[in-house]
Amino acid sequence: MKVTFKIQRFNPENDTKPYFKEYTVETHSNAAVLDCLNDIRWHQDESLSFRRSCGHAICGSCAMNMNGKNGLACQTLIKDLKPGTVTVKPLPSFPIIKDLVVNLEKFYEKFNKITPYLINDGPVPQKERFQSPEQQKIIEESTTCILCASCTSSCPSFWADDDYLGPAALVKAFRYVFDTRDTAAEERLKVVNDKNGVFRCHTIFNCNEACPKDINITGHIAELKLALVTTKL
Amino acid sequence: MNIKSVTGDSGVRRWFYQRITGIFLVVLLIIHFTIMHFIGTGEIDYQTVAPRLASPYWKTFDLAFLIFALYHGMAGLWVVVDDYVHRDGWRVFIYSLVVLVGAVFLVLGVLTIITFTPHMLFTIPSKI
Repeated sequence: MKVTFKIQRFNPENDTKPYFKEYTVETHSNAAVLDCLNDIRWHQDESLSFRRSCGHAICGSCAMNMNGKNGLACQTLIKDLKPGTVTVKPLPSFPIIKDLVVNLEKFYEKFNKITPYLINDGPVPQKERFQSPEQQKIIEESTTCILCASCTSSCPSFWADDDYLGPAALVKAFRYVFDTRDTAAEERLKVVNDKNGVFRCHTIFNCNEACPKDINITGHIAELKLALVTTKL
Repeated sequence: MNIKSVTGDSGVRRWFYQRITGIFLVVLLIIHFTIMHFIGTGEIDYQTVAPRLASPYWKTFDLAFLIFALYHGMAGLWVVVDDYVHRDGWRVFIYSLVVLVGAVFLVLGVLTIITFTPHMLFTIPSKI
């Protein structure tokens, strides 16, 4: 089958603003959008830029906006999209570097603010730090985040003000705040309890729809809000 | 991270009280609609409303309605300003407006509800 792709192009060296260019690819319904983008780049237009690495929905590099919805190009199959032209755009609200490649510096900056690593000042055990299956279950969903930025880029609160921490950083905050092995929950809650923190989330649920790992992001943020109400910081 | 709001608070109390007032508003609105529109005579005029507003129970109900609705609405406006107004000066100005408007409506509403007396029930309609 032939599928037409309308891809947003932008080269900062030559263009003043982004424009759309159409490509037609011979493919099949089980192909992923990333396969088609590769086809275009390898056989039609080698100037097309996009990020991709693993191709198996685990590295989070190929997040982009396809037919108006954020997701991973490697995970989005042609048969899952509406028949007809597929419109591909870079992740919204981030500065475009070239074509589908966006500048994620601010995204990582927010991410680092919540100290996304295990903090435990207690004595280091001989073996691993144990967790019961019940304790693990609390954070299991939030640990599956691959940091693709689909959620933050789909969040209207983030569009309105990019000082907002954003869903991705908040899910990571949840992951460590509710980790029984971690001892810095209070510091993280303080970071999240900010004008640009958790209360900028107005439960719009765009992040849930965008998440390629189906994490209930809005639910996790709600848990953080509740934790702030019940904790004295 | 040291970004703080102009007022120095994160919004945790505002968020929490907005949920609480929201729950109360749902209950009060159901009572309001039932009484005013579903089981009433259909005629909403001074003659039907005045006796109700004369009762201290209804005064309490209306005061609660007034306070919850004002808090809920003004908290909502506050959040909109948080999202869309990025300059601190403008933000302080609009926050002040929100507080001022809320205070004026609160005083007006409380005065209207509390000072309404059965006495007016018998005097004013006869003049109309």
